[in-house]
Amino acid sequence: MAASTTPHDVKTFQGMIAALQTYWSEQGCIIQQPYDMEVGAGTFHSSTFLRAIGPEPWYACHTQASRRPTDGRYGENPNRLQHYYQFQVVMKPSPANMQVLYLGSLSALGFDPLVHDIRFVEDNWESPTLGAWGLGWEVWLNGMEVTQYTYFQQCGGLECKPVLGELAYGIERLAMYIQGVESIYDLVWAHTPAGPITYGDVFHQNEVEQSAYNFEHANTEELFHTFDVCESECQKLCEAALPLPAYEQVLRASHSFNLLDARRAISVTERQRFILRVRTLSRAVAIAYAESRERLGHPLLRNTTPEASDV
Amino acid sequence: MSDHATLLIELGCEELPAASIQPMAAALAEKLQAQLKDAGFAPGDTQVFATPRRLAVLISEVQKQQADRAIEKRGPAVQAAFDAEGNASKAALGFAKSCGVEFDQVGRLKTDKGEWLAYNFTQKGEALSKQLGPLLESVINNLPMPKRMRWGANNYSFLRPVLWLTALHGDELMPATVLGLNSGRSTRGHRFHAPAEIELTQAEDYAEALRSQGHVEPDYAKRMASIREQVLAAAATAGGQAVVDEDLVEECAALVEWPVAISGHFDEVFLEVPKEALIQTMKNDQRYFPLLDESGKLLPTFITISNINSSDEALVRQGNERVIRPRLADAMFFWQQDLKTPLGSLLPSLKTVVFQKKLGTLHDKTERLVRLTRHIAQQIDADAVLVERAARLSKCDLMTQMVYEFPEMQGIAGKYYIYKEGESIAVATALEEQYMPKQAGSPTPEGIIGQILAIAEKLDTLAGIFGIGQKPTGAKDPFALRRASLGILRIIIERKLDLDLHDLLSTAQQALADKLDKPEQVFDALDYALDRLQGYYADQGIDRRVVDAVMAKKPTRPLDFDKRVHAVTAFLQLPEAEALAAANKRIQNILKKADAIGEGVDESLLAAGAEQTLYDTLLTTEAEVQPLYRRGEYEAGLRALAGLRGPVDSYFDDVMVNADDNAIKLNRLALLQRLGNLCTEAGDLSALS
Repeated sequence: MAASTTPHDVKTFQGMIAALQTYWSEQGCIIQQPYDMEVGAGTFHSSTFLRAIGPEPWYACHTQASRRPTDGRYGENPNRLQHYYQFQVVMKPSPANMQVLYLGSLSALGFDPLVHDIRFVEDNWESPTLGAWGLGWEVWLNGMEVTQYTYFQQCGGLECKPVLGELAYGIERLAMYIQGVESIYDLVWAHTPAGPITYGDVFHQNEVEQSAYNFEHANTEELFHTFDVCESECQKLCEAALPLPAYEQVLRASHSFNLLDARRAISVTERQRFILRVRTLSRAVAIAYAESRERLGHPLLRNTTPEASDV
Repeated sequence: MSDHATLLIELGCEELPAASIQPMAAALAEKLQAQLKDAGFAPGDTQVFATPRRLAVLISEVQKQQADRAIEKRGPAVQAAFDAEGNASKAALGFAKSCGVEFDQVGRLKTDKGEWLAYNFTQKGEALSKQLGPLLESVINNLPMPKRMRWGANNYSFLRPVLWLTALHGDELMPATVLGLNSGRSTRGHRFHAPAEIELTQAEDYAEALRSQGHVEPDYAKRMASIREQVLAAAATAGGQAVVDEDLVEECAALVEWPVAISGHFDEVFLEVPKEALIQTMKNDQRYFPLLDESGKLLPTFITISNINSSDEALVRQGNERVIRPRLADAMFFWQQDLKTPLGSLLPSLKTVVFQKKLGTLHDKTERLVRLTRHIAQQIDADAVLVERAARLSKCDLMTQMVYEFPEMQGIAGKYYIYKEGESIAVATALEEQYMPKQAGSPTPEGIIGQILAIAEKLDTLAGIFGIGQKPTGAKDPFALRRASLGILRIIIERKLDLDLHDLLSTAQQALADKLDKPEQVFDALDYALDRLQGYYADQGIDRRVVDAVMAKKPTRPLDFDKRVHAVTAFLQLPEAEALAAANKRIQNILKKADAIGEGVDESLLAAGAEQTLYDTLLTTEAEVQPLYRRGEYEAGLRALAGLRGPVDSYFDDVMVNADDNAIKLNRLALLQRLGNLCTEAGDLSALS
């Protein structure tokens, strides 16, 4: 296990993120920044979804804000938010010692595996909208799920070769554990000369207002319209061999769908149809992206030794 | 040095899915043993080991050397072996070459199907060290598993990524390469307690080395035993009784290599929530063992099985207590939210939930249940008012937040809610009991209201799905109609309800009315349901012939069916049974072949002696048996038949049925028919022979 001597104060939210970034950059991951659009999970960042496609290697990590409109609780539930963070690590090809590297990251956060009960419990992941699935675990820390660990097998309907290993940490949960607080809002984000700033200081008002928007104000007519527009734009952009902007249309469509879901504007039978529509778009983007990388000659293969790329 | 030794194979993996560990280890052992046997290594017994991180097997007495084998190689047919001039053909020469010999050394093989070129030789046995590698590779690659995955940049696939391979025969390393792993002589211990490699001197040391140096109990059954023991001990210390669910013990054993029980607590305020919801949260989400007090009330304590000897156990406990708290808080929130609305007020909202596209909404189903339960209550003199009330409320809890979050709470949630509203315990319990029996062998409802509702609930589904032409075919049974139909029969039989299945289906059909596009197919469910009884009685150890004998009569009252089954079973124990069964078979065959049968027995045509005796005995037996049958006392009735054995045997010895005189022949057939009818009344005795 790589020992990381971290100067970061993991007892603050930002210190914990910094510790994870430092640790994973030491393992060869580039530190990326969050995707600047609304997404439901770290997996939607192009650094995961698109980079999982094709033969090129990719090691990266970043935080990602995840929006789940239906999880809004107007800031009243200490454990549930409609906007929260995941810390995402992707390694492609997944290294043979990835589990050990992962455990090293828990050590970097101060969890001694001879004190805490850490376990890998089967959890198979599937995203119907992304046409993606993988096998792996939820990692338990004293019975609490702290990370989703997945070996991607398919993405956008395409086989993942080589396989991308993905780690998605639920960082609020981990921080609550480390800081010993019972409410997300009580988390210390950082200590400043003016005193501690809490997660509540940063986000409570946002939760209240956004919950109201998600459940009460979101304009469903407009959202249905947005969904339709994104769908046709995405198709056009794929045909124009512009997979990256096409992918953003998928993200926008997907978020519109999530908002419509929160507004309960989509019936059970219709729900399935919407999911299918998004999946069709994801597939088209995946294929267009694979082709575009091929046209570019898979630039990232330049750093790979011949044996490693011999798949 | 002995010529055989114990073989150890261990495949180390990243954590395997819990449900696959045991079946895969067993398959590894079984297939490896079988292949070694086929290859002539005469393997002895297997000992299977399985943990989340390893599949392993020890096979005793595996030979070092494969036995020599006599091989007969068959070549082309003799016709094809020579050309027109009688010279060896290309095919023949090729065959000789493939055997590594000259053509004149090739022999012939003649069978009744033709003649071939053949070559017999003895294949020298090879060393295990040479053969094991390829053999192991094929066994491991062909292990059955639910879903394979790939990892890294290679093409291997397995259930999870593999990490190491151990292959030792006695003290000798067996070279093998499987899934990119080269075999070694080391195993590895617990992920955290003993991560270093543990070199094994010999195969037999495997389990002990893991236990003493590796902090791993490799034996699945021993881990289960340890978990059971530790849970009971921890419960005793905590002053309660653990609910030791064997499935949970088994699952926990699949999640740890070194089980250590730790108990934790939660706030007593949560005990206000129905205990089933709390237990479900603990078991399903967290794999905790719940604790009860002597009166069966839930205690605010749980036991978890951790995978380490923590150097600070309090932190593990506190961690687990932190996890369960928000989950229990959720359950309590749903409980309190639901209590704000009377259950019955949710009835109209059932109109928004589709039960089945053609069969309408849950509200439609509720209406039908009211009708069905009323009908059933009338049949068996139950309180129709109470039964109807239960039926009306039966599906409402599907609209509660509790059931939305905890689907397994269906029925149970409803019970608690209406009881809290002041409903009688009988009606409340019926809501839970409607889903019973939950599986084969599990209990049927205790209360009469629950019994009626449970029958109606299943009957409506059974009749409905059959009536829209979707009866189960093959293994597909998406509506679980097998379980539903057996459930109906079990409730009727085990709770001794005097109900007629045909009448029930017909009532269900009427209730479903316009929803059905194939209403006539509803009655196909009758045979379908009765077929379930084969398995039901087989499980009770009842002779299949007995069930066949009764099935031939197609009694539509399940209770009547059951009485007959037990009567015929008792009959089969009588010394006269076999002979009577055989005679009946003979009678049925004779009657089947007959072109015409007389109408009734004409006494004047009876021959003195055996025929007259049989007739007289038949008359007295009929007089005795028929009232018994009418009262459903089949056992006594069948017992009375035993007296017929002697006369029947003498009859067949002395009397020629196919008499020359046609009138006599027809009369004899009429007598046999009357006899046959008496003998097939309770069950077709000819099916017993």
